[in-house]
Amino acid sequence: MARVFNWQIGREMSYWYPESRPKRQFAAVFDINKCIACQTCTLACKTTWTSGRGQEYMLWNNVETKPYGFYPLTWDVKLLDMLGAGRWRGNVYEGRTIFESAPAGERVLGWRPSSEDYAYPNTGEDDCAGRVDHGMSLSLPHLSWFFYLARICNHCTYPACLASCPRASIYKRTEDGIVLLDQARCRGYQECVRACPYKKVFYNPMTGTSEKCIACYPKIEQGLQPQCFVNCIGKIRLAGWVSQPQQARSENPIDYLVHVRKVALPLFPQFGLEPNVYYIPPVHVPLPFLRQMFGPGADHAVNLYRNAARDPDLAALLCLFGSTESVVARWRREGETVTGSDDQGAAVVRVPVREPVFVRPAFDPKFRVIRTNCP
Amino acid sequence: MKTIVLSCLAVLLLASGTACSKRPVTSAEVVAAASPALPQDPGDSRWNRAPEFSGALLLQDLVEPRLMTPSTAQIRVRALTDGTNLAFRLQWVDPTLDDAAAPSRFPDGCAVQLPRDVAGETPAPQMGEPGRPVEITFWRADWQAAVNGRADDIQSLYPNASVDHYPFQAPAAEPGSAAQQAMARRYAPADAAGNRRVGPRKSPVEDLVAQGPGTLTPAGQSRSSGRGIRSRDGWLVVITRPLPAGLTSGKRTQVAFAIWEGSHGEAGARKMRTGWVPLLRQSGL
Repeated sequence: MARVFNWQIGREMSYWYPESRPKRQFAAVFDINKCIACQTCTLACKTTWTSGRGQEYMLWNNVETKPYGFYPLTWDVKLLDMLGAGRWRGNVYEGRTIFESAPAGERVLGWRPSSEDYAYPNTGEDDCAGRVDHGMSLSLPHLSWFFYLARICNHCTYPACLASCPRASIYKRTEDGIVLLDQARCRGYQECVRACPYKKVFYNPMTGTSEKCIACYPKIEQGLQPQCFVNCIGKIRLAGWVSQPQQARSENPIDYLVHVRKVALPLFPQFGLEPNVYYIPPVHVPLPFLRQMFGPGADHAVNLYRNAARDPDLAALLCLFGSTESVVARWRREGETVTGSDDQGAAVVRVPVREPVFVRPAFDPKFRVIRTNCP
Repeated sequence: MKTIVLSCLAVLLLASGTACSKRPVTSAEVVAAASPALPQDPGDSRWNRAPEFSGALLLQDLVEPRLMTPSTAQIRVRALTDGTNLAFRLQWVDPTLDDAAAPSRFPDGCAVQLPRDVAGETPAPQMGEPGRPVEITFWRADWQAAVNGRADDIQSLYPNASVDHYPFQAPAAEPGSAAQQAMARRYAPADAAGNRRVGPRKSPVEDLVAQGPGTLTPAGQSRSSGRGIRSRDGWLVVITRPLPAGLTSGKRTQVAFAIWEGSHGEAGARKMRTGWVPLLRQSGL
């Protein structure tokens, strides 16, 4: 095991390979507050990549309801239970990662789902964390709550799948940090399936190899966002590039959300993989749950997001989500307009921060008709 | 007193000799007996011409991922050669039949490993080492099931599976046409990359070379053959491969064996194995 630095847990940790960061790292921000679990992202991915034989059960992208939804069953709570409780001191995680708690003979602490574990992708859908009793009123956080968690491969800086493969069939591209599984080299041992804590590597029984999300790299190579991003009805997603904290640039939209404003957080940072999909946590959910899922930055992120409407820059940047198929490498707000640009600085999209508002009177005196609910 | 001890010893030796004559001939090394023809049927009586090697299997607990709890305890091997090819019959106890690969399901398997260079220094028994390659012939129970005629569809693994539609089976795609087959391959990435791990196949074995753990690579061409059948209590598998160059009559090289127990989750490095075992090509032919 080598010693590497993981900024998400604020310390060095053990990893199977030495630290080797790509030239730039593919990353994404998902705004959970806007997700309606329509599964359009799931279908966009499914029809693009996993319509083949042996891929029937595969969802490289899925949306599950938390707290009782899982795909595969119990993917997160099972590993949390295996890992045991760990403490954060400020932004430093003092517990053990899945690399540091690997049992004898293993490279990673993990478990492998069975076929049955994949058989209930919509389990727990729309199930509340508690009962909704008569007379209950709304408050924040909600007493009874659920939220939708959209998930893809996190294209981690320290991928457990990559660390676990005894044949080095999984690699992280130096040009963009996308984690790929070499279909010519894989021999289907399913070590990666066991190791990935997010369970985003799937064994294909019809080809005998494992497969995973490829971040639509043919699109990324053309400066375009992946399928699950551009098909998102709720416009919850933004793809781009994340820097290390000390190299963060405000004009980079992902850096701004992750490092400058710290409103977007990694999923289960305590696992130790430095995942690169960042979530704006749901504002209505009790904080202890969010802290376990997104780390100690949850309180700050929730407070910031609740105030987003009165935060001109944050509100402006959130308007760029789902506004263009192009990857937005830079952004700039000028008054009430926000502009997204590509790598070369050329504008690819301009969006008004606030849509013009038209108020239609409820009653139309000319025709003496109530129009509020008319189409 | 001395006479009494010697007499007792003589009686013991006689008794053990009588006992041995009733058991199969066993050997401390694998002896490839000369045979004009090499039977492909694991149940063929000609296998009895070769003495049986019986060896305890060891855990692969040297490189991660390791196998930490033992499964298959022992392997029994007989070998024959016709002067061109070298055939092994591997036999082991395995009460569970595992002949399919699926999520968290692994097939039973076995492998025979020989140093590529018979004359040179023997490579490390763990998959060889850089500059000292080993040749491996690998048999898998699911490949055998495919050769035996198992259908290549998802229903053969999940009998109640219902599939609405595969894009390459759309009415617009003429069945069997080049365009339709190319489309089907696009939806089977490993197949498109030339890496057919499962599916229709003519042989249940694969030839491989390795120069250390993690370096296993398919050999340029597969020249080996094999056949596995279920025995009363496990597997009987014949693996026939070319006789190593330089292994002339009366000469020795090394051989190693590995067994994968599917129901124990064994695949890849997680296996039971032997170290090197001397392999003698018996004089004759």
